Amino acid sequence: MILLRHELKQGLKNLLIWSLSVGLICWACTLLYMSVKDSLANVADMYANMGKMSEAVGLDKVSLATLDGYFATEIALMFGLGAGMFASMIGATSLSKEEEGHTSEFLYTLPYGRLTVVFWKYLSLVVNLLIFNVICIGFEVLAVWQVNLDFSYDLLMNYHLLAFLMQVELMTLCFFISSFNSRKQTGAALGITLLFYAMDMMCRVAPDLEKLKYITPYYFASGAGVFSQSKLEAAHLIIAAIVIALSLVGAILIMQKRDLKD
Amino acid sequence: MTKKVIEIKNLKKYYGKHMGIEEVSLTVEKGEVFGFLGGNGSGKSTTIRCLLGLIKATSGQRTLFDGRYENLTQALNHIGYMPSEAMFYPQMKVKDVIAFAAKSRKIDCSQEAERLCKLLEVPLNKKIQDLSLGNRKKVSIVCALQHKPELLILDEPTSGLDPLIKERFFGLIKEACANGAACFLSSHVLSEIKENCDRAAIIKDGKILTIDTIENLTRSQTKRVTVWRAGHQESFNHTGSSTDLLAQLSDLNPDEFLVEEPSLEELFMHYYEEEAK
Repeated sequence: MILLRHELKQGLKNLLIWSLSVGLICWACTLLYMSVKDSLANVADMYANMGKMSEAVGLDKVSLATLDGYFATEIALMFGLGAGMFASMIGATSLSKEEEGHTSEFLYTLPYGRLTVVFWKYLSLVVNLLIFNVICIGFEVLAVWQVNLDFSYDLLMNYHLLAFLMQVELMTLCFFISSFNSRKQTGAALGITLLFYAMDMMCRVAPDLEKLKYITPYYFASGAGVFSQSKLEAAHLIIAAIVIALSLVGAILIMQKRDLKD
Repeated sequence: MTKKVIEIKNLKKYYGKHMGIEEVSLTVEKGEVFGFLGGNGSGKSTTIRCLLGLIKATSGQRTLFDGRYENLTQALNHIGYMPSEAMFYPQMKVKDVIAFAAKSRKIDCSQEAERLCKLLEVPLNKKIQDLSLGNRKKVSIVCALQHKPELLILDEPTSGLDPLIKERFFGLIKEACANGAACFLSSHVLSEIKENCDRAAIIKDGKILTIDTIENLTRSQTKRVTVWRAGHQESFNHTGSSTDLLAQLSDLNPDEFLVEEPSLEELFMHYYEEEAK
């Protein structure tokens, strides 16, 4: 618990900056719906019939003419990217920040085993993600309440559950990368997030690249998929669970063996 | 009663093909201040980092507290470590760092921490990022000593400390050892080892040159003597007794004179030559 509190305090500023930024963007963009809903109603059919472009962002499944559809495509897109970047960045810096900041000699000579340090650090990241999501969902719900139109709150929660799993997957993958690096891998973290996001777009557009949908977590955490109530293959969730488990075990094994730089 | 607090046997550490230390063997006993003397890159920190489990030794053995504790994590609870760099979390306040170190050991160290902070004049309410190297060293001293450890491992502890704090620091070390702790003090300052240690090991290029009592190590030491006479400066090495040196100086009748410790390099050369004989 001491380590958990310590890690949460260390990451508090970062958490507040990211959650308030992403939350406020989602809040503001949801409120924007009131001023654009009439024009969106006029062009919704056109957006839905742009062939592959519409499929790439899910406009073939939901309509921009409804708040559900607007949220599923516009807000979920912004939230997904912001949350993905935050998750991967905190994962990629968690372990390596000690060596980069030359604090490893202090932390790892306190009476904690390396497994204990890895466990509490990982748990602090999960707590960080939970707080981040609660704040962002709070802003979204506030905006939807202010807009005061029909909205599927149960689908919003389903989307956020899947988005949370996507964030945990990205965070754990980057946590693994952090375990064998003595410098913060922020660039790699952002790169991986954008790559997965691009993979999601590509696999929806190009049938030859369809298999990419099993690699990128953005595929199952799709706002359009959830709000159109498309059936989700269990394989996506199983793959996500395997990636999380393997990355975590890999990080633990590497941290148990490796030499720490001063 | 545990006698051997540190026992290292044939410790070897290679970084790929590059040798860090080779065949390092030494023991540190309860109540003693053991000096570990060597230049930069000689292997002092590598030995210490192997001891503390920060890096894995390539081969060899290290035993702490005669194997009294089940594992290294338990042993760390009884060790106070002061790293050479003394780095902490920049955004944290000094008092929070000290409290975090204490809580990690699940002991109430508040009284001892307060005593140490007063003695060393630690700026408790400042953030780490606003501290000088000397003040960071003071925080490191408090973190290493506040839980009254059985073993102190100090890696070049005095760099950045002013003479007054240095003196108080060594006072604290002697006090801890008088109470039964052992101290493993790494330094590249010969006089520091000479004045504060009971025994010492000299390490060069990853290998131990010698281990002996300070008395024996310094007995045969050459002194560098500089004399000033009628505006002329003259230097020579003196290897004999102090009486001989005083007699020689009396003959020379200098205006001023200076007797210095040999440099580390000269001391190393001395032990190299002895080894070659």
